Amino acid sequence: MDAVVNRFIHVLKLNGLRISPAETIDALRGLTLTALAERELVREILACTLIKDARDLPVFEHLFEVFFQLPDVPHDHHHHHDHDHDHDEPGDPTRIALQPDEPGINQNEHTHDEPSDVRDYFDPEKMVSMFNLHREPNRLSLSSLSQHLILNRNKGLLDLVMKRLTHHLRTRRVKNISQPGELNFGAALEELELDLIAGAAAALQDDLAAMDVDEALLERLAQQIDGVIANLPELLKGYIERELALRANEAQAHELEHLESAYNYRFNEHERRQMDELVRRIGRQMRGARSTRRTVSSSGRINLSRTLRGNLKYDGVPFHPILANRRDERPRLVLICDVSLSVRNTARFMLHLVYSLQALFSKVRSFVFVSDLTEITAEIERSSLDEAIGRVFGGELLDTDENSNYGRALEIFHERYLAAVTSRTTLIILGDGRGNQRQPNAWILEELRRRCKQLIWLTPEGRPSWQLGGSDMPTYAPICHRVEVVRNLDQLGRVAEDLARTSFVGWR
Amino acid sequence: MFESIDQVIDQLREQQYICDRRLATVIFLALKMQKPVLIEGPAGVGKTELAKVVALALNRQMIRLQCYEGLDEARALYEWEYSKQLLYTQILREKIGRTLEHVTDLREAVAQIRHHEDAFFSEHFIVRRPILQALLAPEPVVLLIDEIDRAEEQFEAFLLEVLSDFQVSIPELGTIKATAPPAVVITSNNTRELSDALKRRCLHLTIGYPGEARELEIVRLKVPEISETLAQQVVEVIRRVRALDLRKAPSISETLDWARALILLNAESLTPELVEETLQLILKYDRDVQKVTRELPKLLGGSGADSQHHHDHDHHHHHDAGMQAALERQREHTADYFSSYRGNTRS
Repeated sequence: MDAVVNRFIHVLKLNGLRISPAETIDALRGLTLTALAERELVREILACTLIKDARDLPVFEHLFEVFFQLPDVPHDHHHHHDHDHDHDEPGDPTRIALQPDEPGINQNEHTHDEPSDVRDYFDPEKMVSMFNLHREPNRLSLSSLSQHLILNRNKGLLDLVMKRLTHHLRTRRVKNISQPGELNFGAALEELELDLIAGAAAALQDDLAAMDVDEALLERLAQQIDGVIANLPELLKGYIERELALRANEAQAHELEHLESAYNYRFNEHERRQMDELVRRIGRQMRGARSTRRTVSSSGRINLSRTLRGNLKYDGVPFHPILANRRDERPRLVLICDVSLSVRNTARFMLHLVYSLQALFSKVRSFVFVSDLTEITAEIERSSLDEAIGRVFGGELLDTDENSNYGRALEIFHERYLAAVTSRTTLIILGDGRGNQRQPNAWILEELRRRCKQLIWLTPEGRPSWQLGGSDMPTYAPICHRVEVVRNLDQLGRVAEDLARTSFVGWR
Repeated sequence: MFESIDQVIDQLREQQYICDRRLATVIFLALKMQKPVLIEGPAGVGKTELAKVVALALNRQMIRLQCYEGLDEARALYEWEYSKQLLYTQILREKIGRTLEHVTDLREAVAQIRHHEDAFFSEHFIVRRPILQALLAPEPVVLLIDEIDRAEEQFEAFLLEVLSDFQVSIPELGTIKATAPPAVVITSNNTRELSDALKRRCLHLTIGYPGEARELEIVRLKVPEISETLAQQVVEVIRRVRALDLRKAPSISETLDWARALILLNAESLTPELVEETLQLILKYDRDVQKVTRELPKLLGGSGADSQHHHDHDHHHHHDAGMQAALERQREHTADYFSSYRGNTRS
């Protein structure tokens, strides 16, 4: 059981979830406290001990479904039903651990109804020659790898490989693979080139190296090259079917995917965390409101209780008054983000930054503009990142096809939301400052600067290009406390470091 | 102590708290593993209530620490009672003089006094704040740390030692370890992200809005005098209101308030007028009220008269059940995550 859970956690980690050893131990401890009769129970125990962020839950649930598969996973394609029953893992996790190696059964069960033309693409002899070309002593062939995976109950890893393969397939413009109902598998396989399989095999080997595997077993498996390759299409097919079944339920997600193709700056889990980390670091450096709690300092009001206690040694005579003062607290932020065409490439990144800032700090108001300006604080609060971004670019909130008009946007902000900017606020504007030759209304920016604590402008364009074609950045830049060029995470990281060095004191 | 997950469910039900298996599993594990539970979810779904009923079910005292902005260790952990210390020094002045009567030089006097030093820095002079109370209680208690997201990040750091080892370090006294480890329940409304260090020390549980059947069960249990038709109508309308895009969707607590109010108004079933008049009970923002009022005919469709009810039933069958559930879950999931919207209210 331990091995299975550890492997599952390994799979979770591979998918970008962060799980500490302490949490692993918690999960194992939790599992020993209950009888492992129920699958649901195992899932709940693993979920509550391993997953600490509600946003990670869907990933966890998906991987759990895949890893600890039930025999009766609902399928749209009935003719494959019997086949699925054969090779799926039993629902009882304890049985997964105890499942004996049965190469014979595994080899035979898949060969009954597959089309011969599909198998041609996986001609065993071709594959064998291909992989034996390398002649490296420790190099395993794909077939034995996958066989090993099947035998060694490594469903999770196999699925990962399949995922990679299907991902490659998708990127190669196999559109019909996502058509629900009809499964044009042959066409998909045509696209599956051998180098892709080789890549997957290499990745698999990395995965294997990370695991503890019995040398002798590997040796034995390496000799059983035949057979499994023939099963691969079948497995792949099963996987794609399952993917399809999953995706059919995610109509909305699919829609979003479509939307995003235009703005294909997509964050993976790792980058999301990196962003969060950076935003936190930046936030620590920003000065905001005075805190409600007082801490001991060299100036400020006398703290009675501490003074009396500290001066007990002088018989209660306050020789050494102890002063306490309010400290600067986390900042209040107002974010104004340009989402027009001219920043199309970076708008997603900027919105992501906005989202992270709002998620991490409690007092944030966010606005987006093209020509009109609108508040999206509520949208961000209520929906997931992708949804929020989809809404902004979907044109529901404002007309994104307009040309950006900084002057007008500033005017609207000045008119309606000026109250949001107080002496405690840090105002961050994200945009390239290209107002398309319209009135820049710099006076509004000046007034905003006077009202706020700091005014920071993050622009995706480097300084040299400000001189080119109608950028108002030269007008706006001197007004701001600080202008930074930020286009990606690296640059954001540099800004964070920079802020830490200069620590903002100079420009309060 | 609970012996099994089913027992958790049963005993909480005895305390009038309906919980699903997921919730019961986490509670059971937390008690067995002596780990804190971190509960996240929108306001009013019974997070605080859970701690209360666990205390009742286990017959333990509950100690509650309500978090707020500016909460510090002096209010949460302990504080020296300086006035008492001062008073004692004054009263005991004579006694001290007597102790030092036979002492000839200063060096000796200091040595003498040092012997008695700990008399003034003893537990006697400490005001026990909720967390220390929970640790020093002779019987295990339930410690509820409510709405931790209201306190600052620094406060989470104070809690880490308590949560992982059930101990507090007081510089003058040393480390105070819990005599009987308390069951700790931490709730968060998710207005900000909690630190990873805190999350790592806790079992994590997200409570969302309950399913239709469970909500109905809760209404029947908590408002026993309600008629069956009214209960069903209330739950159905609430569910439809939740599906709208509102600033603050009604929680279970609002459902119960509404049901109780309808009982007071002697309502037998919902009518459009009645709903409109009592809408303020389930919605907290004017804009929401306006929006729901506009949608009212749609919301009540199918739950007004019996004939319509039938129609509604059919309607449900047409949908693919699995798909419906999946979509619903997805919607609730996203709606739950950032529960309270504070953008406009606190600028």
